Amino acid sequence: MASARIVTLAANTMREAIRSRVLYTLLFFAVVLIGTSVLLATLTYVEGHRILQSVGFAAIRLFGAAIAIFVGIGLIHREVERRTIYTILSKPISRAEFLLGKYLGLVATIWLQVAIMGLAFAAVSLLTGAPLNVQIGIALGLAAVELALVVAFATVFSSFTTPLLAALFTTGIYAIGHLSRDLRDFGANSESESIRLAAQILYRILPDLESFNFTTQALHALPIPSNEAVLALVYGIGYSALLLLLGVVVFERRDFK
Amino acid sequence: MRRAAKEIVRVEGLVKDFRVGLGVRRKRVLEGISFCVREGEIFGFVGPNGAGKTTTLKVLMGLIRPSDGTARILGHDVRETEFRRHVGFLPENPYFYEFLTGREILGFYARLSGLAGRRIPERVEMLLDWVGLSHAADARLRTYSKGMLQRIGIAQALVHDPSVVFLDEPMSGLDPIGRKEIRDLILRLHGEGKTVFMNTHILSDVELVCDRVAIIVRGAIRYEGCIAEFLDAGELATDLVFGRLPASLAVSLEERFGPLRGQGGRLELRVPDKAVHEVLGLALSADAQVVSVTPHRASLESIFLSAVEGSAEAVAGKAS
Repeated sequence: MASARIVTLAANTMREAIRSRVLYTLLFFAVVLIGTSVLLATLTYVEGHRILQSVGFAAIRLFGAAIAIFVGIGLIHREVERRTIYTILSKPISRAEFLLGKYLGLVATIWLQVAIMGLAFAAVSLLTGAPLNVQIGIALGLAAVELALVVAFATVFSSFTTPLLAALFTTGIYAIGHLSRDLRDFGANSESESIRLAAQILYRILPDLESFNFTTQALHALPIPSNEAVLALVYGIGYSALLLLLGVVVFERRDFK
Repeated sequence: MRRAAKEIVRVEGLVKDFRVGLGVRRKRVLEGISFCVREGEIFGFVGPNGAGKTTTLKVLMGLIRPSDGTARILGHDVRETEFRRHVGFLPENPYFYEFLTGREILGFYARLSGLAGRRIPERVEMLLDWVGLSHAADARLRTYSKGMLQRIGIAQALVHDPSVVFLDEPMSGLDPIGRKEIRDLILRLHGEGKTVFMNTHILSDVELVCDRVAIIVRGAIRYEGCIAEFLDAGELATDLVFGRLPASLAVSLEERFGPLRGQGGRLELRVPDKAVHEVLGLALSADAQVVSVTPHRASLESIFLSAVEGSAEAVAGKAS
């Protein structure tokens, strides 16, 4: 069954990541940064808890993105380069199943990392008496959806180019994704109709990664409207699915020389 | 004699062009090749380096898309995937996930091949034993030697008990003991009724294990047929050794068949098969002493080389 094969590939991708040292190095630095936020918080007399949690939250999001990019960019390329793909595709597995299995395996790995970093964040908060609320949980969940989208970009780039180029493209998309709302606003304020239209089109095509950012609500215990959270979830899943579809189309045409 | 019946592999007019440079120019690697492999045979796909052997095999394994023509295995287009549960593949110099152990990698491939979960442990243990790797089952693959990787490669190709197995240069880079082990494994597969397709350029292995061969040179098939027929197709000759040979006869034989070679008071002459009776008659009537008559079969190597050289001459002819 296709689903069983996808699960087998995903589980193996997870096992590979878990047994690699790069991941632990990144995770170690993230947890250390979350821990040192306690020190940063002591430097101020006001809003110490907020500084602590801001640093912790930023560490989770940034290191999550770093893991997604650095592991994701070699995801497919490494299989081709090391020729491990030869024996896998000679089994009853379609290329689409292969791509999906690898993608889901990496997403599961990254979500596990986010969960570990989230636990470290919660532990530091509890130890220092900083407040924990449900918004923090929702915001972390949506940050995880954002990372799944970043992994989808890395997977697609990895399916047809080298890790270096894939890293450049994915990092570029990550940066642009956090600025695309500014682009839209810039276009909206323009007097030129063509600039307004171009900015609108670009905003529609490029990912809007800020739509997953609920850090302010989480740290200030402000309500997160359920429609916004659901919309972000649907947007993340839909965009990732479209990207993977594009990746499959490209991957199907490739020759493994 | 081994009998083969239905066609397991059928390749018709297969063409493969690769893009070169920026993708504007194209290089033709396969020039519309056709051949078939029949059930239960060991088929040798032979050719010099760069002839198109691995490209053909990769097309059959769905790793490279053909530019034109068709390739079918067990009646299915090679672009399909489900039929691959009946197909095993060992690539040249196989690479596997080094972070897995021998037992884990076989379990992984068994699950990918759709083997029922309860059957996997038993099948994996059986194959580890079969390829002689039970002692290294729990060692990571990064600690395996080349020969061990080749054997785990064969085990993964067989983990789902396929009916047809494709092997790309299975003996390359192995020491004589390793080569013999792989040869024995191939013969054992054949004994179990499996069809084996083997890419190789080691002709002695082909002569030892293959039933039929196809020779590919510069992307074109030069010969396809049974090994025995193939060898018979070469020019046959017979070596005659004389203990005593009258001078007048020696001169006339040398004029017709080339120089006599002398060794230890004996004279040796190679004559075409069809002239053996005539020369023997002449020798006996001239009271010569015939020491031995040895039919000389053309070796696979000499025929292979003439096929390659013939191709090179054809290319040179086209160029001029």
